Amino acid sequence: MSPLLDVIAAAAAVAGLLAVGALALAIGDGVAGAAVAGRPIRVLPLIAAPFARAALAARTGSTTTERPDGAGRAVAPALLAGLAALAMVLLPLAPGVALADPDTGFVVYSAAVAFVMIAVFLHGWSPNSTLPLHGAYRFGAVALSFQIPFLLAMLATALPAQSLSIVRIVEAQASLWNVVREPLGLPIYLVVGLAVGFWGPLNLPDGDDLAGGTSAEDAGLARWLWQVARLSMLVAVAALGAAAFLGGYFGPILPGPVWVAVKTGLLLAAMAAAQHLLARVRIERFVGVAWVLLVPLALLNVFVSGAFLL
Amino acid sequence: MTGALIDLSFAAFSLVAIVAGVRVFRTDSMVRAAFYLLASFAAAGGIIVLLGAEFLGMVLILMMAGEMLVMAIVMVMYMMNPAGLNPMVMVHQPRTAVVAGVVAFLAIAGVGLSGEVPSRPAPNPAAATADLGRELLGNSMLVFQTAGVTLLATMVGAIAVAAPRGRYGDAAEGSEEPGLQPDEEASA
Repeated sequence: MSPLLDVIAAAAAVAGLLAVGALALAIGDGVAGAAVAGRPIRVLPLIAAPFARAALAARTGSTTTERPDGAGRAVAPALLAGLAALAMVLLPLAPGVALADPDTGFVVYSAAVAFVMIAVFLHGWSPNSTLPLHGAYRFGAVALSFQIPFLLAMLATALPAQSLSIVRIVEAQASLWNVVREPLGLPIYLVVGLAVGFWGPLNLPDGDDLAGGTSAEDAGLARWLWQVARLSMLVAVAALGAAAFLGGYFGPILPGPVWVAVKTGLLLAAMAAAQHLLARVRIERFVGVAWVLLVPLALLNVFVSGAFLL
Repeated sequence: MTGALIDLSFAAFSLVAIVAGVRVFRTDSMVRAAFYLLASFAAAGGIIVLLGAEFLGMVLILMMAGEMLVMAIVMVMYMMNPAGLNPMVMVHQPRTAVVAGVVAFLAIAGVGLSGEVPSRPAPNPAAATADLGRELLGNSMLVFQTAGVTLLATMVGAIAVAAPRGRYGDAAEGSEEPGLQPDEEASA
């Protein structure tokens, strides 16, 4: 019975971490929006807003389209949330403490990020409707473009650790964080992170210019679940980014898990600010920048990081 | 993981791999077929992880996501079926396919049953990954680097062919064919 209990406890822990993170990001997004627009920041309504949206979603009926792929529509949000959970399982919370520490943690995380494109494509393709399908094809182009910069940026963090384990990657930053050791890594990772969570300037598949894109045909709980899954993915990206580049649980005075939360919150705050400060990028421009600029920069980052280790 | 858990995982992955593999041919849409194939491959990747080749199994799963998406989009582009949701039959030449499938299955099963199964325990995943790295950058380096450079050259060529700015001008502005008479083109 004990392995089963362990699995249940781990699942509850991951769901809790993701829920707290997603709620924090939703509230932070509201605060950033009010601050950028010059509206007064009223704390209680801003905290209540995500709950109000959830309540509204629960009371709104669902919609259907002509000849949709029912299984795909049902699976897509669950797949995206599951991928966020898979990434979160790998997060080192304190020295030697992570829910799972596979020797190939880096590859597991990369596989989770790669499957985001399957989840988003499925979500846009399954309603059998024009605008969602446009969003799905857009994300195909975006995802294939960010894949290599993402892998290279993460790979550079595995070099000083001489291991693909995320726990080892954090341990290798005891004396010097990767953000200092590889200054190019975190900016590339953040750009890619915005694309993975299709958020802010890189919200191309679900953008307002497509009337919601892959979510255009969603209503009620289905729409809310997709948003929650997306926020969870952003939280996982921020948490793993804090572990890979900002030294994870390392920090003075405060205990390790608090530092993990603080650093994750810092990256989430940057994402919330990007949502309101940066305009949406055209897809051609993003694809061009990803292949022409981010891939060479990420390669340079790998070479420089490798040269320091020789 | 304990023995029972590994057996249970193996059974689950095998079931998913087989059922999804059958569904690839029994479904009626190219995009669905691609997603079922992805599920089948991902389950096979899970089995490879159970076998102790953690890196190879996870890399298989990682690579398949992009490959299957590209395959689905390219198939939809070729088949003039914009969303891949119009029903269509996913098999052709069924009799030949059945014969080929049965022969291939018997051959592989024969090899599996008659071959000797090694009994040495799998190395730990980290050691297996390190061995793979030494192989790729050691004895097999020439083979893999040759294949890698060839693939890279193919990619660069494909991008050059598909690039919006070609020999006859910008694709967005429409291009003009070269004249039938060589001197006509030269004088223009």
